[in-house]
Amino acid sequence: MALSDAIQLVDVARKATEAYGRPDLTAKLARTRDRLSDPSVRVLVVGEFKQGKSLLVNSLVSASVCPVDDDVATAVPTMVRHAAAPTAALVREPADGGEPERTEIPIGELAGHVSESGNPDNRQRISYAEVGLPRALLAGGLVLVDTPGVGGLGSAHGAATMAALAGADAVVLVSDAAQEYTKPELDFLATAMQVCPNVVAVLTKTDLYPAWRRIADLDRGHLAAAGVSTELIPISSAVRQLALRTKNKELNEESGYPVLISHLRDRVLGQAEQLARRSTGHDILSVCEQLTTTMSAELTAQENPEKAHELVARLEKARTAATRLKERTARWQVTLNDAIADLSSDVDHDLRDRLRTVMREAETLAEDADPADIWDQLAKWVQHQVTCAASANFVWASERSGALARRVAALFAEDGQVALPELPVATAGPAPRVAALERPDTRRISLGEAALTGMRGGYGGALMFFMPLSLIPGLAIAAPFAAVGGALLLGRKQIKEERQRALQRRQAEAKTLVRKHIDEVQFQVGKDSRDLLRRTHRTLRDHFTALADEMQTSIAESVAAAQGAVKATQAERGTRIGDLKVELDRVASLADRARALTAAS
Amino acid sequence: MSAPEGGSPALRDAVRTVLRQAVETYRDSPDALRWLRHHLDRYDEPLRLAIAGKVKAGKSTLLNALVGEAIAPTDAGECTRVVTWYQDGHAPAVTMYPHSGAPRPLRIARDDGALRIDMGVPAETVDRLEVTWPSASLRATTLIDTPGIASLSLDVSARSERFLAPEDAPSAADAVLYLMRHLHSADVRFLESFHDQGVARAAPVNTVAVLSRADEVGVGRVDALRSARVIAARYRADETLRAFCQTVVPVAGLLAVTGRTMRQDEYAALAELAAMPPDRLDALLLTVDRFAGADGDAGTALSTAVRAALLERFGMFGLRLSTTLIRQGVGDASTLAAELVQRSGLVELREVLASQFSQRRDVLKARSALIALDLVLRREPRPAAAPLAVEVERILAGAHEFAELRLLSDLRGRVLRPPKEQAAEAERLIGGDGGAPNQRLGLPPDADRDALRAAALDRLTAWRRRAESPLASRAMANAARVVVRSCEGILAGLH
Repeated sequence: MALSDAIQLVDVARKATEAYGRPDLTAKLARTRDRLSDPSVRVLVVGEFKQGKSLLVNSLVSASVCPVDDDVATAVPTMVRHAAAPTAALVREPADGGEPERTEIPIGELAGHVSESGNPDNRQRISYAEVGLPRALLAGGLVLVDTPGVGGLGSAHGAATMAALAGADAVVLVSDAAQEYTKPELDFLATAMQVCPNVVAVLTKTDLYPAWRRIADLDRGHLAAAGVSTELIPISSAVRQLALRTKNKELNEESGYPVLISHLRDRVLGQAEQLARRSTGHDILSVCEQLTTTMSAELTAQENPEKAHELVARLEKARTAATRLKERTARWQVTLNDAIADLSSDVDHDLRDRLRTVMREAETLAEDADPADIWDQLAKWVQHQVTCAASANFVWASERSGALARRVAALFAEDGQVALPELPVATAGPAPRVAALERPDTRRISLGEAALTGMRGGYGGALMFFMPLSLIPGLAIAAPFAAVGGALLLGRKQIKEERQRALQRRQAEAKTLVRKHIDEVQFQVGKDSRDLLRRTHRTLRDHFTALADEMQTSIAESVAAAQGAVKATQAERGTRIGDLKVELDRVASLADRARALTAAS
Repeated sequence: MSAPEGGSPALRDAVRTVLRQAVETYRDSPDALRWLRHHLDRYDEPLRLAIAGKVKAGKSTLLNALVGEAIAPTDAGECTRVVTWYQDGHAPAVTMYPHSGAPRPLRIARDDGALRIDMGVPAETVDRLEVTWPSASLRATTLIDTPGIASLSLDVSARSERFLAPEDAPSAADAVLYLMRHLHSADVRFLESFHDQGVARAAPVNTVAVLSRADEVGVGRVDALRSARVIAARYRADETLRAFCQTVVPVAGLLAVTGRTMRQDEYAALAELAAMPPDRLDALLLTVDRFAGADGDAGTALSTAVRAALLERFGMFGLRLSTTLIRQGVGDASTLAAELVQRSGLVELREVLASQFSQRRDVLKARSALIALDLVLRREPRPAAAPLAVEVERILAGAHEFAELRLLSDLRGRVLRPPKEQAAEAERLIGGDGGAPNQRLGLPPDADRDALRAAALDRLTAWRRRAESPLASRAMANAARVVVRSCEGILAGLH
């Protein structure tokens, strides 16, 4: 594994912390090691349906794991990751937020569960499927996620995809060479860039369309016009498949896949590795600094015992500062607590606001029509709007939490004074963990989905769809044809009045149902986002408190060591100085290696 | 098809009369007068069929296929930017109608068959283009090419929407052919795309959906069209979709237009390709780059230019299909051309257009005209117009054709929900599958008069019983009465 050198270095550093009797630092490095040993890099394969997403994943891993069909095929997201032997499992996340349930299945049966034909509209309610394959490409930690294209990018699926994006390390946007980018695709891309900036555009089916070079140029133009700086890689899955079957190297080159693979390997995996290295380097460096603090304090005291008191006084001051950092009144603590409270109410308000708009519109819609005719559409529309609202709310909340983490980190560094290494927050410290709110969120989406049984919606259009239909019963301007019918209805006023009462009852019922649904969603989503923020709060607090603890321990030990130095005899002092210098050299060389790790990437 | 089939002279005359009376009544209102005159003229014009759909759905290609000539310009990028009318006429001419100012004739240049129209002004300032072209295919129907929806240039989309669903007036098209590429049944956006279009205003009775670019469904495999048919059948069965259009037909536009315009030299080139050793040909037809690649490594005597031209005309799918057909024994250009047209689905589409639109031409035209008149009556009510309103209502209520259309719309839109079999039969009897007696009765075209009569009588009795059943709701009884009258109409037509 490419990160083995980083893991080795962490182990060395851990031994050192054990030797110097600093269990707090040992624990910290243990966490670093855990993070390193799970180097998953999630790459989301997204795009409109029938663009060749599943075939792309299949061709990448040279196995037929995702179902491919002339008709719409993929119904359930499929995660393809590395495993020693081929495995497949279905994961269902219960609607009430309990433990996900995992069912191992033979890999051959996978298609029956994840395809639209075997599992129409995902009636089996599978959250996602997991496939393990022994492939060199995946061994580096690459996880490919094939997403259903159903519904298009603007639909509820698109919204759910957007939420999943927040936790993805990279996005592959798949579009075929039949036509240039459409507006929904570019809109999606623009939003995606805000959540996950690592996007690579892939142009598929270049074997089929003579004008693919023109389309590629047009697409590049659209990307540039949208301010998206990403590569556009043209590929042909058909050629790649043939190359795999015939083991023909030239054909493989021709398919364009090697370019995509090297991009995934160098840019996506490489970048993730780089981040992992950098954060590991920072962790080790921070440990080294803590160790050095103690030792160099002692060394100073040993070398100049007469100045020891002065040193102790300075250290005491630093200790007070470090202790203050741990207190609840420390600036970063206050900021964190206040900001979390603010954020919590902001996020809640934002959600309420969004949902209230949906409700108001839904009520207007229900008033304008006979719910008996339009309920299906209305329900779909509400469902979709709610999903979109929850998604947008989530994306916004995660952006704000990221900003908060950075602000707290800056305050901490300012007050901490102790030469902290560049805080890991910006790389792989708490911030990315905070950003990893995506998992609860996908569950949150599925919660909403469960509430309105298995309905799917499409934005805008559902509304538009709904409006003209809603006009058919009475108003003469709806459809030209309805106008004709409307003229006829004039003579039937009486019947209309008779029916009026029943209609009003239906409308009231529909409104109650919508309100109930939105209430429920608000309750669930609100609870989830409060939980998320609480987790964010706890993560940040624990992280910085632990840092303050480390600092305090280091300084306390420095004080003890400096005080001890005064009592020592001349001879003892000479030996101790020699020892300390050697130890400091050792730590310095460890720090050098950590720095090299950071720089090497 | 014969003129009286589905045509209704009585209705036609009644509508024309009421329009003329309206012109008299509104003689002093210039706006209303212009509007009514326009619709009176339009009433005698050919049926206007708009071809709508998302960007790059293949609208211009299909238009060319229907005309049988590659006149509408097509391109890999977004191409049609202005609503363009194609109508029959003695001599080719192009007229530009700017938003402001007088119409202006444009010079015609032909670029390898397709018209190259240089408007000389920005597309935003142009209301529409009118292309007059001598063509038998345009004689009965004026075709209208529209810019794609979901186009990246918002303005282009907007121009289409304005045309198909003007804010305050009936649509300028009598019928709509809605083109879509492969979509998902459970997908609401699917329907939404209709509405994005504003085609929502088109009732299901005047819309036919086309699964376009059907050859691309199977990513260029030779059996792609079979898959396309399966998918189209699934769409046809989809209840939500039925509320929006009459039926769904898969069409491979490029194949159709090429089939209709194939030249002998193209056939010769294809035959030469088909004569290559199979593995060499397969390698050549693997990718577009290989096929249109440099002369040296292609393994065929055909020059790069010839191959590139073939590729443009046939597409990968067309090339694979044509060479396969030639190998299977198709021996000459006309057989191959006919085979391509047959397989493209164009024949089926034309049959559907004939049964759904051409036979109902009068009804659709009358409908457009009455809606236009209704608009004037509502906008500028005046005492003198009162008899007109009564007359409009009389026509609407009296003409059985409208009753049929209305019932059809209700059944499709699921406003009425009779048991499934009854619904299907009612739709058929009121002309949902076509207006000919055998189509209405679900009998083969060669059914003799006695068989037709027997079947019609049988259905008449059955529906009369339903109409009189005390258990039927009022709406259902009314519906059944409409069906009864249709059955009587069939019988009367049989003498």
